[in-house]
Amino acid sequence: MEVTINQNENKFDVVLVGRLDTTNADQFQKDIEPLMQGEKPEITLDCSAMEYTSSQGLRMFLMLQKSVNSRGGSMVMTGMSPQVKEVFDITGFSNIIRII
Amino acid sequence: MEQDSVEKYGLDLHCTMMLEEYRENRKSFEKILEISLGCIRDLLAKNGILVTAVEGRVKEEKSLAGKLELKGHKYRCLSDITDIIGTRVITFYTDDVDKVAALAENSFEIDWENSVDKRKMHQLDSFGYMSLHYVCRIPKSMYFDPEHPEINTIRFEIQLRTTLQHMWANMNHDCGYKGDVEIPIEHLRNMNRLAGVLELADDEFSRIRTAVNDYRRQVQNLVASGKFSEVALDIDTFRSYLNMKPFDKLNRRIAAINQAEIHDASLMPYLALFKYLGFKTLGDIEELKKSSSDDAYQLATLEIGGTDIDIISSTVAVQDLCIVHILKSGAGEQGLTDFFDQLNGQSAYNRTRAARLMEKTSRLAFMNK
Repeated sequence: MEVTINQNENKFDVVLVGRLDTTNADQFQKDIEPLMQGEKPEITLDCSAMEYTSSQGLRMFLMLQKSVNSRGGSMVMTGMSPQVKEVFDITGFSNIIRII
Repeated sequence: MEQDSVEKYGLDLHCTMMLEEYRENRKSFEKILEISLGCIRDLLAKNGILVTAVEGRVKEEKSLAGKLELKGHKYRCLSDITDIIGTRVITFYTDDVDKVAALAENSFEIDWENSVDKRKMHQLDSFGYMSLHYVCRIPKSMYFDPEHPEINTIRFEIQLRTTLQHMWANMNHDCGYKGDVEIPIEHLRNMNRLAGVLELADDEFSRIRTAVNDYRRQVQNLVASGKFSEVALDIDTFRSYLNMKPFDKLNRRIAAINQAEIHDASLMPYLALFKYLGFKTLGDIEELKKSSSDDAYQLATLEIGGTDIDIISSTVAVQDLCIVHILKSGAGEQGLTDFFDQLNGQSAYNRTRAARLMEKTSRLAFMNK
């Protein structure tokens, strides 16, 4: 999965491209390290080019959401395809992570 | 920086000496204030008493000089003046004044002879200043410094009052004690009439709080005893219900489909959804669980059974129960779309999801009964 982060002070616009699964979850965790620092981050994850997420991917997003919450920030995922959104829906993760 | 001489206030020798003593003891006064405020804040936190404010001050030199000028002859020495160090606790409720008072009694040495409960000083037909004043000392068991034994002998004052009593006292001070003109008696009487109204309001606030707490206890007992149909659905009752982990069994059953882990998430947002679906009591939710848990499990099996998903949120059981309820009620695609709009916010995707669910679930047993 390709991760592109554009930062403007505490605002992060992140573009996710490709598949997120067990083969690249470790790399993804390293790629999103800049999002795990700083107070009150406002993170937007553009998922319009994300093709798939496995359970490991869900865990990554959950970890990021918890980190953001603990630092008083906000996170939103946008542009998900119906196939990816379905994974969030059937696992109940749509109730935990803000998706628009 | 060198201080001005206390003689600048033009007081007599007796009062000037008291002011000098004040200056010498100023650091001890500050220390006593720090210790007493710290202790009071700790006591409130440990006993879960929420208050409007805890405040304190060491009387300013100028203010003390003014007091001495007016009534310095009344005091034999500085230690006769008990309000040089003053702390104040402003509570929400009258009952809390007594609770904080009891805590203070157990923590500080109280000089009962000089402490006064102004709340009990009014005649049957009089209203006015209401506050509890304790004159106290720091006990050695709380703090002792052999180099500063005066910390345990100098007295300080604790004022305890409600927010409304505090408001009245401040307004009364502002309106009634301006020394330049004498306030006509009708205005003073009006101020005292207000004190009566605020006393009534204070009592009513306390009465309401007691009634609400009684109701909460009663509801918790009903929930604990399983009398769900007698318990109306609201924030308190739903929270008590969730403490019983009512959806854990179904969540574990669903998780077992793929040997998934369950991520614990708040179910409180579902209160609004249950109300939206027309549920009135906890009994309605229990009935849904009884009648539809197997169907919700079927739905979950259909959704995640063929996948490699091995993590679910603890909201899955209740989400699937709601979906089954809507499907069984015949509300169809529109009902599901409206539910998802309520659950996750409006989006065009919700209709797609609803349509997909209608198609997939058409094969399930409960849809064909």
